[in-house]
Amino acid sequence: MKRLTLLAAAAIAYVLAAWMVAPGFYDGFGPTEPYRWTCPPPQAGANTKPSSGHADIKVTNGKTEAWSVYTSDGQIVIGFLPDSFDVAGKSTVSVDITPLDTCPEPKDVRFVTNVYRITSDAPLKKKANITLLFSNLKPHPDDIYRTDDPIGQWTLLERTSQGQPYTIYSSADKLGYFAAGYASSTTPPPGGVVTIGGGQALPIIVAVLIVVVVLAGLPLALMRRRRSAEGTEDDDEERS
Amino acid sequence: MLRAGAVAVYVLAVEWTRALLAQNSRFVVAALLLGGAALGLAALGWPAERLGLGTSRFALRVVGGLALGAVLLLPAAARGAAAPLLPAGLAAAAIAVSIGEELAFRGALYAALDELGGAPLAIGGSTLLWTLAHALSHPPEFLVAVAAAGLLLGLWRWACKDLVAPLIGHVIADLAL
Repeated sequence: MKRLTLLAAAAIAYVLAAWMVAPGFYDGFGPTEPYRWTCPPPQAGANTKPSSGHADIKVTNGKTEAWSVYTSDGQIVIGFLPDSFDVAGKSTVSVDITPLDTCPEPKDVRFVTNVYRITSDAPLKKKANITLLFSNLKPHPDDIYRTDDPIGQWTLLERTSQGQPYTIYSSADKLGYFAAGYASSTTPPPGGVVTIGGGQALPIIVAVLIVVVVLAGLPLALMRRRRSAEGTEDDDEERS
Repeated sequence: MLRAGAVAVYVLAVEWTRALLAQNSRFVVAALLLGGAALGLAALGWPAERLGLGTSRFALRVVGGLALGAVLLLPAAARGAAAPLLPAGLAAAAIAVSIGEELAFRGALYAALDELGGAPLAIGGSTLLWTLAHALSHPPEFLVAVAAAGLLLGLWRWACKDLVAPLIGHVIADLAL
């Protein structure tokens, strides 16, 4: 009885502890930090709003230094080569990254990340490298897209091979709005952890497990009790 | 003491190596598959009964595993989370690493600590090592839930003298979360 009570207490403690965090914490199939969504999908659980980023890039001898600007949650990084901006007498170039607070859904693209707006107070004259982090809760993106108007036409950026898990890279010769996704005419890219059943799959799985446990467990428990009563119970287990 | 220490160092080293390798997307499946196999090696040399792998009341053990799986999935299910459709490679890796972890933590490590200091040390020590082993692959805020899962599985191992149910429950949870 004491063992059963301890087990029940541990089960309750686990349910409470796991309730505090988003699902999917087991064996590292997902990114190490939960993605911060502007528009969280239903399976995301607790969500923190995405961060913005800012940097003032120093101008030395009329040229900007090599620099990376990123949001504090690390979900987007833009890297600039030396002399990337037309500085025109400036001593610094200011770059800002802001997550768009809406989630545009252009008809030919399915976005799987937030949309970020990147601006600077000097024109870009060299390509910049964009790195976007994505989540395991949606299909993996194929490409990064850019636009000047988030409700207008989105342009596919040059495809670059993927490196770090849950990140996608590309380069752009203009700043603007950026997001990662895949063409809506294609099926979601394979290889990612694609979820099934919307918000119904896990409740159904758990309900099935409970039904099986009850339907199978009760007869088994009754049979065991009957055998014990008859004195035929064999127990070859260790004793500790 | 030496045996328990050696098992503890070995499983921690395997888990941390696996987590570091899995940070490179090209090695995720290989790291999980090889990591699972390497963890399973920790159980070599132990009699099946000492690992909790006896065959008596097998049907009850399986039902217990389904019950543990239901408990492990319950918080995510209550949130209305969707289940992942894992590609074959990741699904195989999930099964390999779940089995490897159970054999290592609730199997070999539990048995070694049980020999050294009895059930309290076995349950507490295996839970502590299990939590530490996940420190590199999980954000800090997840570790309380990881520890609670380890404690639940460790208590089952002690209360029912069984590793079959934790094996089944862990595989179900890894495949569905």
